[in-house]
Amino acid sequence: MATAKIRRSSFSRNLSTAAPSLGPGLMCGPNGTVFLSSGIPDLDKVLGGGFPLGSLVMVMEDAEAPHHMLLLRNFMAQGLVHGQPLLYASPARDPRGFLGTLPSPAVSKDDKSREPDPNQEKGLRIAWQYKKYFGENQLTFDGQRDGKREYSNEFDLRKPLERHLINGQRIDCVSIQDFSDLSTLQDRCATFLSQFPRNDGSISCAGRIAIQSFCSPQCAYSNMEWEILSFIRSLKSTVQSLNSVAIITFTPSLLSPSFCKRWQHMADTLLSVKAIQDEDKELALLLTGYQDMVGFLNVHKVARINTQVPVILEATTFSIKLQKRRYLVLECLNQAPVDGSSGTSYGTSGSCSSSSKTGNLDF
Amino acid sequence: MAESICRALRDGALEGELAPALTIKDSVASPFGVQVLDHVLSQFFSCILAGKSPSRGLIVVSFSRSPSFYFELLKIKGISVDSSDKRIHILDCYNDPLGWKDRLAETGNFRAPSHEASILRGGKIRFSIAIDSVDEMLRHASVSSVARLLSNLRSHDQISSIFWLLHSDLHTGRVTSVLEYLSSMVASLEPSIELANGQRGDMENFSLIEHNSKKGKFHVRFKKRNGRVRVMSEEVHIEQSGINFTSLSTEGAINHGLVPKVQFNLQLSEKERIDKANVVLPFEHQGNGKPIEIYDGRRSLVNSKHERPVAAVENVQTNEDSSWGEIIYYRDSDDEMPDSDEDPDDDLDI
Repeated sequence: MATAKIRRSSFSRNLSTAAPSLGPGLMCGPNGTVFLSSGIPDLDKVLGGGFPLGSLVMVMEDAEAPHHMLLLRNFMAQGLVHGQPLLYASPARDPRGFLGTLPSPAVSKDDKSREPDPNQEKGLRIAWQYKKYFGENQLTFDGQRDGKREYSNEFDLRKPLERHLINGQRIDCVSIQDFSDLSTLQDRCATFLSQFPRNDGSISCAGRIAIQSFCSPQCAYSNMEWEILSFIRSLKSTVQSLNSVAIITFTPSLLSPSFCKRWQHMADTLLSVKAIQDEDKELALLLTGYQDMVGFLNVHKVARINTQVPVILEATTFSIKLQKRRYLVLECLNQAPVDGSSGTSYGTSGSCSSSSKTGNLDF
Repeated sequence: MAESICRALRDGALEGELAPALTIKDSVASPFGVQVLDHVLSQFFSCILAGKSPSRGLIVVSFSRSPSFYFELLKIKGISVDSSDKRIHILDCYNDPLGWKDRLAETGNFRAPSHEASILRGGKIRFSIAIDSVDEMLRHASVSSVARLLSNLRSHDQISSIFWLLHSDLHTGRVTSVLEYLSSMVASLEPSIELANGQRGDMENFSLIEHNSKKGKFHVRFKKRNGRVRVMSEEVHIEQSGINFTSLSTEGAINHGLVPKVQFNLQLSEKERIDKANVVLPFEHQGNGKPIEIYDGRRSLVNSKHERPVAAVENVQTNEDSSWGEIIYYRDSDDEMPDSDEDPDDDLDI
């Protein structure tokens, strides 16, 4: 059938004959968007499929904990597993060193099945907070399991990624520490992104950009706030028109509050990670599974492309746990009933009012 | 807890990690930062002398005090070293920070970084660095260059740990956040009793100020390897002989904001408890042996005490407290025996 149809009116749906063929690691989503995986299956589920192509993801770090590195590692490793080119910028002297810490996909599925709590008594069990028992039955999209590579992998953080994936790929590493201005970085991003033009039809490859700790104080440009903002704006517009996803992590406490708000506003998907206090008896009483938690992840904004309908999540705060110290899982917090009238906006806490700093609920 | 700091500094960094870095932060309200720094420095140096640390020497970058002060300090603490001892090296940035004597000064560029770089070029020996006061560094150089220096020092192979003192009042909040971001332990000193703002000159507060000048609270936040933050607190007392750390007398509630706001009140205040006890419940037997007479709008009680017109029916009970709480009770029927045990749902046909 001909792919070009004559439009009878400007309102007729332009149906193509078949869904566009997608390269590995890409999935069709609602409203004509295409998703790629974040590398964390739980996060993909929360976000409704993954990161949509053309979106800018921002992660607000916590100065006290390196959890954003976990997110970045999984994101980058997922891209490499699918053969998606990667641009990685970081304030370290040698960003290539970080590639050595990328995890490898978990080998077999039986290892990592979520075991039921061994302390459960037999007999009558009262399912308080019953939703956590639904588990994997509710996965509606689970990638194609017909021999092709899966859309999203579970990563084993203890096993490093195979060398051939790191060496053979088109991976571009940039150290941003010595940049006195951002024009070099902008050029590098532009060159990298020009590999992924968008046209109707198939998408063979999507690109991933990961910029870590973008406003790190060691960087010479770090006090040029307006220049940084215009760089982000141009990156966002470039990413939007091409088949790519960019993720930027930054520490909100190092920015002035007005710029912090501007950065947050630019993001299509906004996440934040928060450290958790050790040996906190009150928190241990409030939350089940406190001992295994490594930190908190908050979802402030979910990207919505081609639609005006916002996503309203059931829960916006998740605990980050390392199952068997290998697999990153996100779990809803199980906690005492909270005052639901505190609204969710970026700066205030979501459904969780616990915080490791008194009074400062800004995630 | 000061011991745990010293232990962390002493142990240094694991392979591939950044060196542990400590920020000692104080403010005008509790100005004991220098004493804490001296304490940590002398403790740490005695560890180095005893060979308990992978670090073989200590470099003290002194900005706000003269090098001879440090030798005096160590002597007072019972550690005698002379200036030719290899294990301690004091970078004198106090006497001539901008290098005017050597005419090396360019604006903003000063000697400490070049000095440190030259020392570090020598071989495999691991050092620790103590920076007397980062404030002085920030006077002469920009935040980002100081941040770059500190992070480069942390990532240098030869540095096993580093610590510095910061007076938080001298800088904007952002600078303090930058230094906290760069460190793996933040020790902050706070006054044990908070003074209200703007009342410094008030005579009433003088005793508080005096109290705060001798005692304070010492909070430390450790960033652990597993991503958790460990918070510890102690009380600190300044005496003639030095500084003393004691554990907190009252378990101060560090996390006030943690108890979630629930929609029902779990605790009653005293007044609420009294009010609750005073409410007379609309049961016909209160459990105290007397039947209660309840006005139910039908005037069917024999000993009705309420002879009010029908219109004003609101006040059906006299409560002893004159609170606005009322319980309005209408009896279902007069035939019913008071307080019968029948289940009113028994006659449902299910």
